[in-house]
Amino acid sequence: MRAQFRNRIRLVLACVVFVALLIVVRLYFVQIVHEQDYSQKADRQFASGGSGLFDRGSIYFTRKDGALISAATLQTGFLVALNPQTLTNPEAAYLAISSVASSSIDHNTFLAAAAKKSQIYIEVAHRLSGTDGQTLSAMNIPGVQVLRERWRYYPGATLASQSIGIVSYGSGDTLAGRTGLEAMYDTTLTRSGDALYKNFFAEIFSNVGNLLVSVNDAREGDVVTTIEPEVQTRLENDLAKVNQRYSSKESGGIIMDPATGAILALASYPAYDGNNLQSVDPTVLGNPLVEHVHEFGSIMKPITMTSALDAGVITPETTYTDTGCITVNKATICNWDMKARGVIPMRQIIMQSLNVGASWVATQLGQEKFHDYFTKLFGQRTGIDIPNEGVALLDNINKSQQINYDTAAFGQGIAVTPIQMIRALGAIANGGVMVQPHLVSAIHLDSGITRSLDWNQNIQVFSVTAARETTDMMTALVDEKLENGKAKIPTTSVAAKTGTAQLVDGHGGYDKNRFFHSFTGFFPSYNPRFIILLYTNDPQGVQYASETLDATFLDLVHFLIDYYAVPPDRGITQ
Amino acid sequence: MDKNFHHTSYATTPRKRVVLLGMHNFFSLFSFSLPKICFGTITGLVVIYIGLIAVVMSYATLTIEFSQSVRNDEAKVATLESRYLKIVEHTTAIDYAAAGYALPIAKIFVPAKSVTALR
Repeated sequence: MRAQFRNRIRLVLACVVFVALLIVVRLYFVQIVHEQDYSQKADRQFASGGSGLFDRGSIYFTRKDGALISAATLQTGFLVALNPQTLTNPEAAYLAISSVASSSIDHNTFLAAAAKKSQIYIEVAHRLSGTDGQTLSAMNIPGVQVLRERWRYYPGATLASQSIGIVSYGSGDTLAGRTGLEAMYDTTLTRSGDALYKNFFAEIFSNVGNLLVSVNDAREGDVVTTIEPEVQTRLENDLAKVNQRYSSKESGGIIMDPATGAILALASYPAYDGNNLQSVDPTVLGNPLVEHVHEFGSIMKPITMTSALDAGVITPETTYTDTGCITVNKATICNWDMKARGVIPMRQIIMQSLNVGASWVATQLGQEKFHDYFTKLFGQRTGIDIPNEGVALLDNINKSQQINYDTAAFGQGIAVTPIQMIRALGAIANGGVMVQPHLVSAIHLDSGITRSLDWNQNIQVFSVTAARETTDMMTALVDEKLENGKAKIPTTSVAAKTGTAQLVDGHGGYDKNRFFHSFTGFFPSYNPRFIILLYTNDPQGVQYASETLDATFLDLVHFLIDYYAVPPDRGITQ
Repeated sequence: MDKNFHHTSYATTPRKRVVLLGMHNFFSLFSFSLPKICFGTITGLVVIYIGLIAVVMSYATLTIEFSQSVRNDEAKVATLESRYLKIVEHTTAIDYAAAGYALPIAKIFVPAKSVTALR
């Protein structure tokens, strides 16, 4: 019995010794034979294993057929990092790396990083393609680590860049949306750190509720915009041509559905490429169509006219005596050509863009009503889903001098943002109802639910009749005056108005040789699908908007009619 | 009298004796040894624990691989979308007049049933 017990003890001891030997042999291979491999692996985990790869929701354009095209998404690739302590031959390593990714690494930067022997991890190149990264990794260069990386990617590059916005570190160490929709919908687009995967069993023990109904899934998602990529491309292309041809300071444009406020295209020139921000001028990162205010000039006349028609102080048949120039509060207001027209009806004020006529209409309307209409139209932000929306400068119509109202009637002395302007003009197109302009139609939540956004905060500012009467005048302008009637489209009615404003000279007055050109229009006139607003700031060598923006406006009208197959509303051959 | 009666009836009741013998056989089949019960329980728990670890690790690995592959596919789609948008830009920038095309002299619209879904 005792001998049997001793044998058992020996057997157990032998097993223990055998296992211990196995462990010692294993440790020998781990620590001695494969020491370098494991130390490199440990370095990598120490340096970058703690944080997961960058993750963020997508932003989509919506094509006319409803297909979603990424405006902002994620790209996957590799980064190259050095461990100067284990990097034995920097020159050889550089040659090997540059043979794979020559454009990614600067020679001097690489050698400077390799010389920092006190550090174990220095990133020297980012955004290598998958093929380059795998080739480099296969070279197995001592002291060179090739790690997976993910970053924000904008497939359209400059396309709608100022609306989409950017993601950057800002002042902190967290990547977040800083401008545009990236900033506006940052809460929706941001992914919490554990979003990559969930440990099901750990979740059971730690947070059963979160496993069943995830708070993040109800908040995180992708953003679907109303921007149509081909329309946006066309608008950007046209604006770039105008800006380059006339050496303007900037040019911008918006194409919107006047019935819903859905913006199909919103562009400004110059723009930037969100994939390459190193050389970008920070002043172009914002969205001038939403942030900046301008004196728009004569495209304000249809608004003055509709206000007066709505108030009942004039009718389309009302006449006035146009003297060419008038003096108000010791200031002189003249028509663009200084010529008197005599007794003429209201429609000629719009068709011939008469400043004296617009001032006469403002006088008929009266200061109080003028103030009420313009405050209703421009007195508050539009609520568009782009950050840093500007506010209109309407101080002049809070004063009692009539000259301020007379000049505001033709768009001088008050300044509004382009988005406010198109919203106000949209009320004429939309039967007197002012809609809320917006860029996002829906959120695709990670939970699988699609949440449509409610943009139905409509305001009735004009009567249907007043809006239609002004539309008649603007349609007559295109049919009879624009390009001397050659711009008329026999099968589609188009309503439009040009605007030329003098720019301020910085000394309290206006520069006689520098202008702000604007152009607006909508079509088909009496059931409009689109409203367009264009402007170009300080074009050189040209005075009137009809010279700079005519062709651009008409190109967009014809493009939209063809692209959307807009049915004719007149001149149909039976 | 009552005492004798009880003694006699208890000793001679055959049915109850059979039940007791049956119980004895049952317990002898699963002899209740405390170390054995503990050992069995621990063995079971260890097997379950190792199984859970294996399942959790496999689940985590699969989830990571799946989410990585989804992101990789998204990146490939983004590259294709970039190409599509470049083609749109190229098409938009083409000057058709310079390329030898001319605008139609006139367009005539006639009532017809729509032949596309994009109306």
